[in-house]
Amino acid sequence: MSSKSVSSHALCSVFLLSSWLPQTVPFRGSHWQTSVLAFRASLPVRAQPKKKKKVDVKREQAQKDRMKKKIKKLEKAAPEMIPIEDFITPLKYSGSNRVRSLAPLSFEETERRVLLLKKWCLFKQKQDKAEKKAIQSLVEAQQEALKELRLESEELYQAAIRRDEGLFPFERDGPNYTPPLPGYDPPEGKCVDITKVYTQ
Amino acid sequence: TATAPRPWRLFGAMCLLRLPRITQPLEKEEEDMMALMEQIELEKSHYSDHEIRKLEEEEQLRRRKESMYDDDEAPGKTVIMAQDLEDKWEQKLLQFEAAPRITDADKNNIRTSLDRRLDSNLMLLVKQKIGNQELWLLPQVEWQPGETLRSTAERAMATFLGDRIQAKILGNAPYGIYKYKFPRAIRTEGNVGAKVFFFKAFLQSSDLSQAELKEDYLWVTKDELGDYLKAEYLKKVNRFLLD
Repeated sequence: MSSKSVSSHALCSVFLLSSWLPQTVPFRGSHWQTSVLAFRASLPVRAQPKKKKKVDVKREQAQKDRMKKKIKKLEKAAPEMIPIEDFITPLKYSGSNRVRSLAPLSFEETERRVLLLKKWCLFKQKQDKAEKKAIQSLVEAQQEALKELRLESEELYQAAIRRDEGLFPFERDGPNYTPPLPGYDPPEGKCVDITKVYTQ
Repeated sequence: TATAPRPWRLFGAMCLLRLPRITQPLEKEEEDMMALMEQIELEKSHYSDHEIRKLEEEEQLRRRKESMYDDDEAPGKTVIMAQDLEDKWEQKLLQFEAAPRITDADKNNIRTSLDRRLDSNLMLLVKQKIGNQELWLLPQVEWQPGETLRSTAERAMATFLGDRIQAKILGNAPYGIYKYKFPRAIRTEGNVGAKVFFFKAFLQSSDLSQAELKEDYLWVTKDELGDYLKAEYLKKVNRFLLD
């Protein structure tokens, strides 16, 4: 293709020169020819951009796949454990000057402690049994009431059996040591929370 | 069978409880155990920063007294000792006065006030006329067809304490039942006796100044119930009351 165009341009140029036209500018067949003599030097090579597109797309897809694989691997790996700060003693408390110096316990003291622990065990057992008995009697009374209600009317019984949605969540401020003081003005201050928050 | 006559009349009663506001006093074993636990905790602990500072300052003071140092040791330093800090804190604590645990109502045994016996449950008792007797009862009202028993109990509470009472009723089911037959004079075929169903609720608003109490009322604890309620009624009520 290129040789044909060159030969036609060459013929044109010869023809024009022989026709004695008042043009003295050296005639170039096409603007791609920098000089009349150089015919085949600087013709544009148009095939390259096509290759760039395909390879780019492929390369980009390959890159995306690699990234996705890396992300999947990271996600599959087990999450890092959050350290429980209460269980780790800070180093500044492990020095020897920190150890408390107390007299060793006497024999009577250890005996007293053991006997007290035994009494406490018995006390707690009795308390627990009493609580369970009270709960048992509560449940029995309720069962009896429901039985009587059923004998009375079925629809009232069904209404009583139904779950009370508004009951839970039930919140209550627990009892304090002293009742609230009327007209007490608590001291001013700001509490800054410095707990460390870990994300997994 | 809405029109069929019921042999038993139904009543809904409300047991309104004011929950305790202060902790109950400790038993002797609990106090001994508390002291022991504190002692063991002290023995197992290490010195804190404040205690180390206190020990060091005591050392310094002792050394200064023994060897009669001049005050060139600590030029111009106004030192606040740990002991001074402790004294200051102690003073501040002594200046604070907490509200008393045993209130005036306790001392004068005013049973109509809500401020008595802050460490136990208080329940409402109302004087009502049943038949031809005036009795102390948990507030009750007769059930009307078309409402659930829970709403009967709520109505009972509203009749005696007014509309604006805030109480959390614990569930739709009754907690107890008291069944009694009418005396032979009134008893008929269609009117044998009455069943009173008890419901429990926790009082949530702490001031009842807006409540209009028309009848005689009392706020009593579980052990004082025996002074007012009849034996059979008391037995049934005690079954569903936790101390």
